[in-house]
Amino acid sequence: MNKKIPNFIFTNQFGLLCLVLIFIVIFSTVTDGFTSRFNIFALSRVIAIDIMIGLAMMVVILTGGLNLALGAIGVCAAMFGGWCMEVLEIPIIPSILLMLGMGSFLGWINGFITVKTGVHSFIVTLATMSIYFGFMTMLTEAEAFRRLPELFTDFGSAKLFNKYISPLLLVSVATCFVLFYVFRFTDIGRKLIAAGANPEAAELSGISVNRMFIYCHVLSGFLGALAAILLTTRIGAAIPSMAGQLGMDWLLPAFLAPVIGGTLLSGGKLSVFGTMLGAVLVTLLTNGLYLLDVGEFWIRFFLGIILLMAVLLDRTREYFTLRKVIVS
Amino acid sequence: MKSLFSIVASAAVVLSGGAFAGSSDTKVALVPGGPHPYFAAWEKAGQDAVKDFGLGKADYKVPAEWDLSQQNELIESLVGKGYNAVLVFPGDAVGTNKILGELDDAGIPTAALAGCVEQPTKAKMCFGTDTGHSAYLGTKQLIDAMGGKGKIAHFTGFLVDPNTTLRIKAVEKAVEESGGDVEIIQVIADIDAYEPADEKINAFMAAQGAEVDGIVTTAWVPAVVAAQALTNMGDKRIKMVGIDHDEVVLEAIKAGFVHGTMLQNPYGQGYIGSYAMDKIRGGCTFKANAPWKSTAQTDQFIDSGTVFVDVTDVDNYVDAMRGISLEILKTFEGDFLDC
Repeated sequence: MNKKIPNFIFTNQFGLLCLVLIFIVIFSTVTDGFTSRFNIFALSRVIAIDIMIGLAMMVVILTGGLNLALGAIGVCAAMFGGWCMEVLEIPIIPSILLMLGMGSFLGWINGFITVKTGVHSFIVTLATMSIYFGFMTMLTEAEAFRRLPELFTDFGSAKLFNKYISPLLLVSVATCFVLFYVFRFTDIGRKLIAAGANPEAAELSGISVNRMFIYCHVLSGFLGALAAILLTTRIGAAIPSMAGQLGMDWLLPAFLAPVIGGTLLSGGKLSVFGTMLGAVLVTLLTNGLYLLDVGEFWIRFFLGIILLMAVLLDRTREYFTLRKVIVS
Repeated sequence: MKSLFSIVASAAVVLSGGAFAGSSDTKVALVPGGPHPYFAAWEKAGQDAVKDFGLGKADYKVPAEWDLSQQNELIESLVGKGYNAVLVFPGDAVGTNKILGELDDAGIPTAALAGCVEQPTKAKMCFGTDTGHSAYLGTKQLIDAMGGKGKIAHFTGFLVDPNTTLRIKAVEKAVEESGGDVEIIQVIADIDAYEPADEKINAFMAAQGAEVDGIVTTAWVPAVVAAQALTNMGDKRIKMVGIDHDEVVLEAIKAGFVHGTMLQNPYGQGYIGSYAMDKIRGGCTFKANAPWKSTAQTDQFIDSGTVFVDVTDVDNYVDAMRGISLEILKTFEGDFLDC
């Protein structure tokens, strides 16, 4: 037990936790309103959505791939859900299940094309991003679904713990625990990691790597749809532009959280709680910079710099991981 | 132009004997939907409102992109920072209502500026151009300039802008009233940014420039790009009515390549909007029987004014808009507020 504590101190997650705490102290001290109830509640909502987006990208990065269509999948799922609830008048719970099903299906298409063609998922999802978004725009004529059930939209405004925390954050944290359990303690989780770490070795040991890769894309679509559900409850409508043009506004938080969190871009290693802390750190920084009156365009600049630093860190980590394997 | 507005507005404040004096506690955030030249006048409007009405702050804060989530995030952080009144160009006509409701619950008054949110809403008012009416009048002017017959093209703004649909319908209405002598041969929307506007308008001119007799533009960037295209082509056969007061459009009017433009009043929106928010924070309420106008989205609309200018009055257009702003400000409290 005692031996485990020093080990934790040297982990990426501990470093992130320290950074989060340091920035909380700094922003609480030097900005007005950082600790106000309104700001903490708003932060909890943004963090919830960014965590989910980060997790959705993380599970594809595990395969050494990418999911550029993540935002487009999210918007498609949200618009499909809006259509189910507003036009077809399907009750909330079945509609949510249908949205998750839609996200999973679009993720499955990405995975299926990737493993069948052997083309890198970067190219496949770049293409499907336009296809999904274009198809959605064509079907909906870019018309938003704005009259969703109140019970559904009220969830995004609800306040818990003396009005400090959004229930959306609880959904995201709960999802983190479920994913942690799946990857740490289940057979399928270990197979997914093994397939990402060394596809040839995994194949030789009887794991269907292609199937595992498809599962990762399905899971990514599922989590992308879950992120879209949270975002829809937050803004109270399903809107084609909710993730920007082609859903590309999700890409920066989607990469930042897992890469900062310690997920290797080359695949085979992930960190669920690292991704969670990565999302928290990025959201804190963005919020803090807003409060410090740093121009909105500079915030984008800083986030780009942070991503670049995270990628360099990732390369360094990869180098040391490889060296450790060779040495041992 | 802005400084002229400022001088006249300041004079109005002085002449009124301080009737417009406001509260230094009021901190207004003016938040557009994203970066766009139309909103640039809000910055000066906020600064002048601070100076003239004694507000604590009235700052122009632009989201980095046209994205509802980013706009929401920016507004939330501004409120966290202490802003206690928000004037917003809605990122979405319904989607923005969610955050406006939350702000109202937190005791922060809000209003939609330059574009409306759909009712039911917690926004205290919608203060902007009657965009439908402006597009209708502009199209009527174009049809007159074309001699009452011919084919026209309509270039307009973002589909996510709540005003775009109103503008498209208004142009259609004006054309229908021509009794079939005028036909819309093309509507190009979602081009209120230079790259797509340049690409699509120039492609249209190349393909159908010979067929079209008139162009009406109902968004800033398409007006600039279309005016530039006609100027470059040296084409005075095609009549064009633009919108707003970009230098390119004004110069094209003087040179005879553009027939005229429909001016809006972004400065007045920011200036009077900030004043109104301070009044609301000071305990005033909007009168139920105020002379509200109705639009497709709301029945609590106040028109910030629009006017057509052509080559005869393009050099003096500031006077026309200044007159409208002062007229609104002079009677705003009496007409709309119970204080």
